[in-house]
Amino acid sequence: MDSLHAIGFYVSSGVSLAGAMGVALLPGRGLRGASMAVVGVGLAGIYLSLSAGFVAAVALVCYAGCAFLVASPLYRPLEGVVGPMWRQVGAIGAAALLAILAYSAFRGDFVHAGFYGGAFGVANLGRLFFAHDALSTEALAVLVLVAFAGATAAWRVRERTR
Amino acid sequence: MTINLVAVFFVAAGLIAAGAFAAAWRRDLTAAVAGVPLMFAGAGVAFAGVARFAAAGGPQLFGQEFAVVLAIAATALLAMGLGIAGREGPR
Repeated sequence: MDSLHAIGFYVSSGVSLAGAMGVALLPGRGLRGASMAVVGVGLAGIYLSLSAGFVAAVALVCYAGCAFLVASPLYRPLEGVVGPMWRQVGAIGAAALLAILAYSAFRGDFVHAGFYGGAFGVANLGRLFFAHDALSTEALAVLVLVAFAGATAAWRVRERTR
Repeated sequence: MTINLVAVFFVAAGLIAAGAFAAAWRRDLTAAVAGVPLMFAGAGVAFAGVARFAAAGGPQLFGQEFAVVLAIAATALLAMGLGIAGREGPR
């Protein structure tokens, strides 16, 4: 692991975390969508520096889709029913979660193994997806199909009842 | 300057916590749903890091496989959540 990979990893991590904070804090769906796209770019950089080029390509496409969905002006804002106190409790809970995960990460470096996969690893991933774990691939395909069909059906029902 | 599993886990923890914060803090439900892909991204980074640095037994790229599954599932769940939350636009 040379220092060029390390610099790419840390820069991509900063970009990704900055985008994540933008999704959480920025006003306006356009800015939040742009922040989600920034998260996707940073995430792809992280995966590339971890020798996971195929995952980087998939993450880039998927998070571009997420950014498009978040930034779309076709969704109406839907106010939640949770009061400000519970939102603050949730934010404190997220901070506590960060503390617990950071402690776990700090204690997590207890196992080491060599890496023999390539920089992209498509052939090995293909063997995993279509031979070793074919059932989970089918389940994922069904999940995607149900999600998009359900979203379309929900839109159509809402449009008809309007 | 090197990368190790601890650094990867720290980044993953930051992404998961940022997603949880977004889901808890946003008043608008359609904006809160956007926290789910962030949490999935953090989990995917942790899985890819384990596949890179610590996969001693079993298929070595299993973590990368699960990161792909998480990225696709995040997009599908976001589409589903926004579809349920509602859509409006020019008719």
